[in-house]
Formats: sequence, C-alpha cells, structure tokens
Amino acid sequence: MIEVKNITKKYGNTIALDDVSFKIEEGEIVGLLGPNGAGKSTTMNIITGYIEPTEGEVFIDGINMLKNPKKAKRNIGYMPEGVPLYGDLTAKEFVTYMAGIKKVEKKSLKEKVNNIIEQTGLKDVQNKLIRNLSRGYKQRVSMAGALVGEPKVLILDEPTVGLDPKQITEIRSLIKKLGKDHTVILSSHILSEVSQICDKVIIINKGKLIAIDTPSNLENKTLNNNSIYVTVEDANNKLVKIVEGIENVKEVKLVTENEDGTKQYLISGNDGKDLRKVIFASLAKENITIFEMKKSDATLEEAFMKLIDEGGEE
Amino acid sequence: MWAVIKKEFKSYFLSPVGYVFIGLFLLMFSIFFYTDVVEYGSTNFEYIFYSGATVLTFIVPILTMRLFAEERKTGTEQLLMTSPLSITSAVLAKFIAALFVIIITELCTLMYFGILCFFGIPDIATSLITLLGFLLLAMSYISFGMLASSLTENQIIAGIITIGFFVLSWFLPNFSGVFTSFSLINLFSKFVYGQIDIADTVTFISFTVMCILLTIMVLQRRKSVR
Repeated sequence: MIEVKNITKKYGNTIALDDVSFKIEEGEIVGLLGPNGAGKSTTMNIITGYIEPTEGEVFIDGINMLKNPKKAKRNIGYMPEGVPLYGDLTAKEFVTYMAGIKKVEKKSLKEKVNNIIEQTGLKDVQNKLIRNLSRGYKQRVSMAGALVGEPKVLILDEPTVGLDPKQITEIRSLIKKLGKDHTVILSSHILSEVSQICDKVIIINKGKLIAIDTPSNLENKTLNNNSIYVTVEDANNKLVKIVEGIENVKEVKLVTENEDGTKQYLISGNDGKDLRKVIFASLAKENITIFEMKKSDATLEEAFMKLIDEGGEE
Repeated sequence: MWAVIKKEFKSYFLSPVGYVFIGLFLLMFSIFFYTDVVEYGSTNFEYIFYSGATVLTFIVPILTMRLFAEERKTGTEQLLMTSPLSITSAVLAKFIAALFVIIITELCTLMYFGILCFFGIPDIATSLITLLGFLLLAMSYISFGMLASSLTENQIIAGIITIGFFVLSWFLPNFSGVFTSFSLINLFSKFVYGQIDIADTVTFISFTVMCILLTIMVLQRRKSVR
C-alpha cells in the first residue's frame, strides 16, 4: 500500500533522513517511533507529498507521489502535527471544506460529511466555531478532516499529544476502529500507545531507520529476556550464595527489602535457559520459602532505549 | 477550487477583515465624493476614483497579507498542500476570492453614481471605463500582495513589502521619466479620462499574470527546501 524507497532529505549540509526504505501492507496499523527530532514528521511530510525528498521515491497504492501527486494524494488522509485548523470555521464547515478540496463529488458531499461527523463523535459540536472547541474535539475535527474523501491511507502525526487520559483512550479506540478499513501510519513517542494499537513498529533515530518489526518481536529480539524476579523469606542471606552456584546464572541482584522481611532479587541467566525449575528446587532444599517468582517482561520501552543507544554508538 | 474560493471569501467576512476593508474604502470614498464632486458641483463620478486609487494602494494589503502567510504560520498550509488540489488552483482560488471583495466594493460605490444621476447627468461611458481600470489596478495590486504573502509567514512583513512596493512604483516617475510606465497608478489615470489604452491594459494583465506565476513558483519551490 505504501512503499518508501531510499528517501533522503537534506537541508543544506544537515541530513534529516538518510536512505530510509520500508513497505507497509494494506490494512496494517504502523507506528512510527523515535525521539524528538528523529525525522518522524519529515518522513510523514514526504509520504503525504507536503515536502519533496532530496532523493528517493514514494509510492502510494502503486502511484508515484513525485510524478503523479494529484492522484497519489487522493488516497491519503493526513492529520498534521499540532492539528492545524481554521479557527473561524465551524466543525461542519471545516469538514465540508476538506471534502471540497479533496474533490468529493457534490452529489454525495452532504451525506458523507454527516457520516464522518457522526463517526468521529462531533455531532454535538458541529455548529460551534473550531476556535472555541476543546483540545480533544479539535483533535477529532482534524481527524474528521483526514477521514473525509474515503482515503485508503491515514497518516496521523502525534494523534494523542495534549489530550487527557480519557480522550487518549477514546482517540485510540477510534484509531483501532479505523484500522479495520484503512492503512494507518501514526507517529508517537509514547511507547505503550504504539504497542497497544500497532501491528508493526518502525523505529527511526537521527534520520536512520533502525528497526521495523512487530512490537512483540522487537521486545524479544532486543532484550536478553531471561531474567527472573524472586521474592523470598531468607533470614540468613543464603540465597545469593546458593543461586550463584547454579549453572548458567550470570548475576544476582537484590532489588528491594520488603517491610515483612521478604526480599526481592533479580536473577539473570544465560540466553535460552529457563532457570525457574532449578532455582525452585535448590531453594526448597535449603528451606528458603518462595513467595513469588516471575519472569521479567521486556517492555517495548526498554527495547526502544536499547535500539536508540545502539544507533547512537555507530 | 470552488471550495477554496468559498472558504476564503467567507473568512473575509467571518473576521473583521472584509468589513474593515470595505468600510475604510467607502469612508475615504465618501470624503472624496464631497471634496472632489459635491464641492465643485460637478458630476464627474470618475474623479473620485482617481483619489480612490491612492486609498486602494494603502488598504489592499489588508486583504492580501493573510492569504498565504497565515496558512503557513498556523500550519493549515499542510492541509491545502497535501490535498489533491494543485498549487495553481489554490493560488487562483485565493486571488479570485480577494477579487470578489473588490468587486463588492465597486458595486457599493455605485450608490454614489446613483446620487449623481439624481442631481445631474454623469458620463456613463467614462464611469464604466474608470470602473474597469480600477478593477485592473486592483487585480495587479492583489496579485502582488499575494506574492508578498507567499514569501513570508509574517503577515505584517507581507503587508509592509506590499505597501512599500506600491509606494515605490507610485513615486518612481518623480525621480526619472524612464519609470513613467512602471507606475501602476499612472497607468490607471488614463482610464479616468475615458481612454482604454491597449498597452496599459496589457501591462496590468501581464503584471497580474506574472505575480500569480511567481506565487505558484514560490510555493512549488518551497516543497523541496522546506
């Protein structure tokens, strides 16, 4: 559905994007992730045809954005960063205007505008001036503007920034719903958001594409996911010695001492070996009571930080 | 394109801009109506426009300075430029919307013509030619103002560039006769005497087309440097 081929964007001597390529299939929800200034917005602006890359090509549904922008742009609904809107129009006037510039047929225009207003939950405020709407509603108006004209691809730049938690969940479920019949690219620096909504994650740092994969694959790939948290009652502090004696154990660390006298340790082992069985057996032998034992979950956050750091070292 | 014309035209009157422009023009026009026509007991409708053109020089930026500068500043430019609408259509639409406001202003001035008809017999042909000349002058002014607006995201700077250029073109002939044909107001003055000069008409139109083309080029070029 979207193909980005070797795009490079230079501003004078600064390189904003460096030879970035990726493909997004139809119906996927893809998260574009990266620290501030990594090139997320630049990538989105190039895909939408707002700016031209210095080198490289973009195809939307097989149509070259640089050679046939009018046709390619018809397939795109774009919600730019910071939700720019015309404050002196009402929500409905804005959506109608967007329908107009996206060349929605006059005959069905009214009906389509009404449908979208309904879909985005703007019915109650459709006749209010955009300038007087709350941030959450502005976001919805911008989303409605992107949705009108039945684009196949939705590109949302930081769709949940500046919203309160309730609005964030609402917008997220709206995006999920839209993902059923649209291909969606959204950028974000909130990782939990991306891991919740997206099928695929693209990580960009300093203008370079670092990784493209599913959120769970990224978590597994990048982390030595063989750490175990154990909470034990261990009055004589024998645990460290015992556990360090077990084969394949790399490190034992005390995490917390709880008020009830129990202690939590983090035990990390070599790759691929599940240590839980051995640890359980050896601790039981020494009469150390285990209150809790769990595998540590690698989070996308950690994966992200690791990838970004690795990228920085190059 | 129609959607943009409609929206632009509407926003002139949703904000005070349209009213301020028409109000200011008619206020000055009324004063000139008194000093140039009523005082002398003449029926020369066209004379008011001669003074009216100087007013236009200073108030056209009210209409044009926001056209692209505001969109760029608020980021709504992104909506316009990522829509399937071509840059050419967007530029033309904005030009036409501003021109509509001028046409409405001209229609408003017809009430003075009505008053003159009541008290005497004004020269209809000369008046129409003057109105045509005024429209041509306004077209050139708007197109330049739009070009200035596309160059910056600061409306005030766009306005100052516009007025600066107009004043310069107005007073250049005072320094050297070479510049006589460069003065847009000078070109207009012939229309006030009831002559349609082909050369002048062509100058106005080609100046307008040039400014519109330059605006399109500025916006097109920004795609790659932005």
